[in-house]
Amino acid sequence: MSEPLLRVEGLAGGYDPVQIFQDISLAMPANASIGLFGPNGHGKSTFLRTLSGLIDPWRGDIYFAGERLNLAGERGSRRFRNFNYDAVRRRRMNPKQVARAGLIHVPQGNLLFPEMTVEETLSVAPAAAAGRGNAKAQLDQVHRLFPRVHERRFHKIRFLSGGERQMVAIGVGLMAAPKLLILDEPTLGLSPKLRHELCAAIQKIRDAGVPLLLVDQDVEFLQSLIDTLYLFDHGRISRKIEKAEMPSHEEIMAMLFGAPAGGIDNGVGR
Amino acid sequence: MSFETLLFVAAGGIVLGGLYALMATGLAVVWTTLGIFNFAHGAFIAAGAYIAWQISSTEAFGLGYFAGAAVSVAAMFVIGVITYALLVRPFERQPNLVLLSVITTLAGATILESLLDILWGARSKQIARVVEGDVSLAGVTISANEAVLLALVVVILIGLGLFLRRAPAGRAMRAVAQNREAAQLMGLDVPKLYAIAFGLSAALAGLAGLFIGSIRFMTPTMGTDPLLKALIVVIFGGVARFTSPIFAAFIVGLIEAFATFYVGLYWAPAVLFAIMIAVLIVKPEGLFGKYEKTV
Repeated sequence: MSEPLLRVEGLAGGYDPVQIFQDISLAMPANASIGLFGPNGHGKSTFLRTLSGLIDPWRGDIYFAGERLNLAGERGSRRFRNFNYDAVRRRRMNPKQVARAGLIHVPQGNLLFPEMTVEETLSVAPAAAAGRGNAKAQLDQVHRLFPRVHERRFHKIRFLSGGERQMVAIGVGLMAAPKLLILDEPTLGLSPKLRHELCAAIQKIRDAGVPLLLVDQDVEFLQSLIDTLYLFDHGRISRKIEKAEMPSHEEIMAMLFGAPAGGIDNGVGR
Repeated sequence: MSFETLLFVAAGGIVLGGLYALMATGLAVVWTTLGIFNFAHGAFIAAGAYIAWQISSTEAFGLGYFAGAAVSVAAMFVIGVITYALLVRPFERQPNLVLLSVITTLAGATILESLLDILWGARSKQIARVVEGDVSLAGVTISANEAVLLALVVVILIGLGLFLRRAPAGRAMRAVAQNREAAQLMGLDVPKLYAIAFGLSAALAGLAGLFIGSIRFMTPTMGTDPLLKALIVVIFGGVARFTSPIFAAFIVGLIEAFATFYVGLYWAPAVLFAIMIAVLIVKPEGLFGKYEKTV
């Protein structure tokens, strides 16, 4: 097997002093997509924020396209607890380096830049591409995928609806010529119609050959897009499910919440 | 009083407003981008003036006005970046950054002013004017020097506005100002953009110092009063748009000129502050302000 696109080994982290997730290991083969599924408040977003370097990992390593994204070693939180952490210790990850390596994270409920127009926002985005992509072709792609973004290009982000804003956020991700696109609950809070449109667009992005790391609450939607599903529970990965054996929505709910359906025992539901 | 006197006072106010606009915009660049208030801005003004004097004055190197201006702007950009690296960068992720940076930049201002005192002494100096003589327009006569400065201020502010709207670095700076995390995820180099914002602000302060140095006498603490006025301008006008401190600067300049004329020099600041407080009671986010801060 070739080198995986993304390999996470024993990753732990959180917001000091509260640890949010621990011992996360996963590997994402090249050209595969994976999904994360789990209840709210169990650390999925914190894990993704650690992946993209917004917060420092406490332990563990992240390898992307054969390169390690973090500095070696552990975060010395105990020894330096009473000092200015950033002045005393070098941060282990740099979000700029992560983005320029092609690991692009579209965060949950992305607010973008309220006072900038859609066009201006998209013009800043190729910074992360670092010479990998072709800004003009990417912009065409975004406009083909989301005609609405093209229509609204001279409007400020502040005046866009939630759905339009999400389209721009995904467009910003695509402008960076991603090698891996992380979408954190892209359909959160949208109407069923918009949600359907957005799902179709994400399917198109996948078909164009962009690997995805997708977080969503809708297993059926995840199922159509991904090859492996990870169940995220209390800050750990509790189960890994391959596409072939993907259970139905009810079964997954049963696993997570311990409902009586099917009587699946997975050692979760502490 | 005659209409001519009125015009004369107004012209003085507009020149003053131009200088305040330059200083307030410099302050606003840092305020909007980093979300902190730079109390060393006044010391930057003085440092810019002294560096320009050293290069341009016939008593020192005597290389001419424009050489002085160029060196002063470049040196101030570097000083701004150094100030950011030493006084702001180490505390950037602290939750009480705003308070810490008040103290550190005040400390920086004091150190820089003492340094100027040691290097150049407390004796008042003055930068030579760009041009001598007066210009008359529609019955108002102001000195040609002040007219040139006003024109330069307008050109510089338009240039700065274009930089922020059009240039990739300017757009990136606005992006970081509005949503730091989204900007990081887009691969923008946030510390570098913060350093550029600080350098740009210091360079604008240097220009302001250069202009003030040819109108008034220079002392190491010459920046204190302009800093106070720039602070009034920024609070008075709000920073919702790039242009709001600029308009506010001219309003403050005019108020100050008329207050000086009608109630006297010593009462002008009191009048200014009273009007500012009255405005803030009615509209706390400033004359042109919206609550959010942006560039």
